[in-house]
Amino acid sequence: MHPLKKSRPLRRIVLASAVTASGLVMLLALKPHTAPAIAVAPAPAASSSSGAGSGTGSSGSTATGTKTVTGETAQTRWGPVQVKITVKNGKITDVTAVQSPSDNPRDQEINSYALPELRREVLAAQSSSIDTVSGATYTSDGYRQSLQSALDSAGL
Amino acid sequence: MTTVYERRTALPVAPAPRRSPAGAVLGLLWAGAAAAVALWWAETGSVVGAAGWLTGVGRIAGLLCGYACAVLVGLMARVPLLERRVGSDRVARWHAMAGRYTICLLVVHVVFILLGYAAQDRASIVHETVTVVLDYPDMLKATFGAVILFAVGITSARAARRRLSYEFWYYVHLLTYVAVFLAFFHQLSLGNEFNGNAAATDAWYALYLGVAALVLWYRILAPVRLNLRHRLRVESVHKEAPGVYSVVVRGRHVDELGAEAGQFFRWRFFGEGMGWTSTPYSLSAPPRRDLLRITVKALGDHSAAVPLLRPGARVWAEGPYGSLTAERRTAQRSLLIAAGVGITPLRALFETLPGDVTLLYRARTAQDLALGAELEAIAQWRGAKVLYALNGPQGQRPSLGPASLREAVPDLAGHDVYICGPHAFAQELYGALRAAGVPDRRIHHESFEL
Repeated sequence: MHPLKKSRPLRRIVLASAVTASGLVMLLALKPHTAPAIAVAPAPAASSSSGAGSGTGSSGSTATGTKTVTGETAQTRWGPVQVKITVKNGKITDVTAVQSPSDNPRDQEINSYALPELRREVLAAQSSSIDTVSGATYTSDGYRQSLQSALDSAGL
Repeated sequence: MTTVYERRTALPVAPAPRRSPAGAVLGLLWAGAAAAVALWWAETGSVVGAAGWLTGVGRIAGLLCGYACAVLVGLMARVPLLERRVGSDRVARWHAMAGRYTICLLVVHVVFILLGYAAQDRASIVHETVTVVLDYPDMLKATFGAVILFAVGITSARAARRRLSYEFWYYVHLLTYVAVFLAFFHQLSLGNEFNGNAAATDAWYALYLGVAALVLWYRILAPVRLNLRHRLRVESVHKEAPGVYSVVVRGRHVDELGAEAGQFFRWRFFGEGMGWTSTPYSLSAPPRRDLLRITVKALGDHSAAVPLLRPGARVWAEGPYGSLTAERRTAQRSLLIAAGVGITPLRALFETLPGDVTLLYRARTAQDLALGAELEAIAQWRGAKVLYALNGPQGQRPSLGPASLREAVPDLAGHDVYICGPHAFAQELYGALRAAGVPDRRIHHESFEL
């Protein structure tokens, strides 16, 4: 456009806003909107049910038939995730995160809501097929991986 | 046989104008914006729930805002390709437009990220804001940066600009460098797209360091080098018309500056009443071996002190800038239209522009015609024509409509037209010229109206 042509600022503002807003909505709309239910790859070389494999999960058991198994550490983009499960009579009775990303306050904030949510899901599902917690995609993925390796170790 | 003769005597072929790199530069800038969005796309898996949407909008806006900050600073780095080939005025308009857009993106980024995080954490927006600002890494710095950018945006808005002095606006604007520096770090430490993505991080560093290098070189080192080398001083000051003064500046090897007729420098004079800000003034004559001349209307601030300049006063100049030169020519014939002190660059072009040249000079009265005697001399020397458009005896304005222009300048549509004068005048002339059949690409003008 020639710089001397009468410009119409209002028209330009409306146009720019409309294009930007619709561009943003379109980009976001094109992305999937469900939490990805990622298939968990089987843990490599399932280790013996109770022995601690070299560098992999470890487990211990008590006389009452309750046993705790620690899963492998899953490396995520924001840091390592590792879970420990408590199994009683073939049932998962508790899950705790031994490690989770905590380098910055944002991670801690995410952990504070994501970890309890993930724990609740595991206890309900009794398996590693759990939904991703929104806003905690990477932590959820790592959680699932570590959980699966713990389940494998526990022979569940 | 005769055809050979006819060909040789035919009008010389119209000069091929040097293509402006404006399109290529704009294409590159948009490609960069597309790359920033592509980075978000590649690094985003799914967008889940309200929090996902809100954070998504905030992230895209943030990436674009970070990119735009680098572009804004880069556009104003006084890169010769931009200043001389694209044109200082055009680049300044891009900068202003992109600046407004960047402030909007910044608002969207801040608001949507906070809303998204608050929704995710099921916290109140106030609590979330406090946490983000105080506890997140580099966020305190980034918050200061954002506040400065808002201040720059507000002082540059048209309504505020009219009420503020140039100096105040300028110093606030300089803080942009601080703001961009402060806001840089949170982009890498908190940006979802950069964490663990070495290639993206390197590219972001390259973008910012590249722009910083351009600023350091072209805004600081190149002017220092120019002024150390050429050592400019005021030679003399002449009165040309009521309130209009010419300043002749002497320096060593001034001809090696590469300045062309139609270009300008940004000047700082060291004398009484002179501020620290620089002012753009066009050369009013082609550069001689060791002399430059500008012609200035004493309007206010800085320019009011110009008539008081003493011979020998030190001068600091940056340039040459501007693209209103012979390079823009597309035809053999040119028409130069000047209003008031707008005569300055056109006076220089009137002497040097090849081909047939006509000058149309608009002023209120004959006394207001600056540089009149030398215009007549040049016209006589090169066989060019000067037309004057003065007010009538009762102060009525002369007609500069399409009909009178066509009558005054035969074959008007076959001319390149260079216009220099107040913006309203230039717009009026533009309308008349278009109505008289002159195509857009032949109307050349430099306007600093944003």
